[in-house]
Amino acid sequence: MIELSGINKIYPTTSGHKVVLDDISFSFPAQTNVGILGRNGSGKSTLLRILAGTEEPDSGTIVRRGTVSWPIGFGGGFNGSLSGEENCRFVARIYGQDVDEVVGFTAEFAELGEYFYMPVKTYSSGMRARLAFGLSMAVEFDAYLVDEVTAVGDSTFQDRCRQAFLDRSERSSVIIVSHSIHTVKSYCERCAVLRNGKLFYFNSVDEAERFYEAA
Amino acid sequence: MRGALTQLQVVHALLLRETKTRFGVNRLGYLWALFEPACLVTMFAAFYSSYGHVASAGTNVVAFISAGILPFSLFRDTAGKCMSGIAANAGLLFYPQVRPLDLVIARAALEFVTCVVVMALVFGGVMLWTGDTNVVSVIETVGGVTLAAALGASFGLLCCGLSVYSNNIEVIIPTLLRPLMWFSAVFHSVDTLPSGYRNIMLYNPLVHAIEMVRDGWFPGYNARHIDPWYPLQWILVMSFMGLTLERAARRRLEHG
Repeated sequence: MIELSGINKIYPTTSGHKVVLDDISFSFPAQTNVGILGRNGSGKSTLLRILAGTEEPDSGTIVRRGTVSWPIGFGGGFNGSLSGEENCRFVARIYGQDVDEVVGFTAEFAELGEYFYMPVKTYSSGMRARLAFGLSMAVEFDAYLVDEVTAVGDSTFQDRCRQAFLDRSERSSVIIVSHSIHTVKSYCERCAVLRNGKLFYFNSVDEAERFYEAA
Repeated sequence: MRGALTQLQVVHALLLRETKTRFGVNRLGYLWALFEPACLVTMFAAFYSSYGHVASAGTNVVAFISAGILPFSLFRDTAGKCMSGIAANAGLLFYPQVRPLDLVIARAALEFVTCVVVMALVFGGVMLWTGDTNVVSVIETVGGVTLAAALGASFGLLCCGLSVYSNNIEVIIPTLLRPLMWFSAVFHSVDTLPSGYRNIMLYNPLVHAIEMVRDGWFPGYNARHIDPWYPLQWILVMSFMGLTLERAARRRLEHG
């Protein structure tokens, strides 16, 4: 469960300050997959980073009960000169996980073959994303924070990701930010829409869709 | 927020990672780490002995020079590594577990261990070569080395904090550090200097650290003007300022 209260975030831009998150208070229910819909630049990735703790809000507090993942998606946070395997070792260590277990799981999940042992800088963006996704699945979190899964891999890989989340839905939940209603529909039972720095919550994805499309 | 255990895990993981990226896969980097300071010592020792360097009563020139250059390199390299520590690994701040300070700590630790090993090898080599293995006080020598490293780390931390506010810091500081070698008692004992010049030199905290290394090593070497508390004060003040800046800068760093 993650609880936000009074979260504000402002980015300075050349044309003055842009309010990205405007006094957001919201409690993410435990074991519920929640989608957050927003247009490009609406601040949804910022919100996800704040949920993860990668970024601090300007004001407001966040209470996290249980373990929360890093923002999963683009394959950031890899060192290009180290191999996929070595990057996995690093992440396993900082999260206090069994290194061999994490490496084994990721190798199998990401299906990178020989590339798993080559420097990450030789990867295509799809391979990076697969490594990132496999690695995050190898570490057990209570809440997985996912940024735009639509960008990750082909449909077979997408199915595997969905299955992986399904397998652990007993104890883990997913919070997904996306601009695509399709993505949110296939993962989430609840949905919120981020618009003009405010978060609007809906009990059904369909309601959220109507609100999202109307703007 | 997060426990000491998490921080320990993170620093440990960073250390292993840094070791790998620093020394490379084929481990030639280890050889280079030893080769470079050994060359510097040989070069300066050859220069000063042909020029008739009067180190100090009964002290071998090579030993004297190595006791100056190596702690100085330790300071300079630690400062440099720490300074660029955050910028070089900013991508890792992506993981909420990793804090900017962890990056600096890991780099300082790796640099310290590397330099101490190199120093032990070079000092040992010099002792074997001169046949004089007497050391007056190992504790004082190690203390001097540690002070030099801590001065480097705290100075690097301070520069790290400053570099968040100005991109020029990483260019300016190494340029400013270059002439520092000539004002840190690397080649001459401060005791052999005229008192006016010496009193100015003694404001440099590195002088105290380097002279401590010699004072602890060479029998008959008597550094009368050094004070270990003086560099310690610098370390505390620079660390405090660096940590304060890091805290204030955290939001800017994580934004990027």
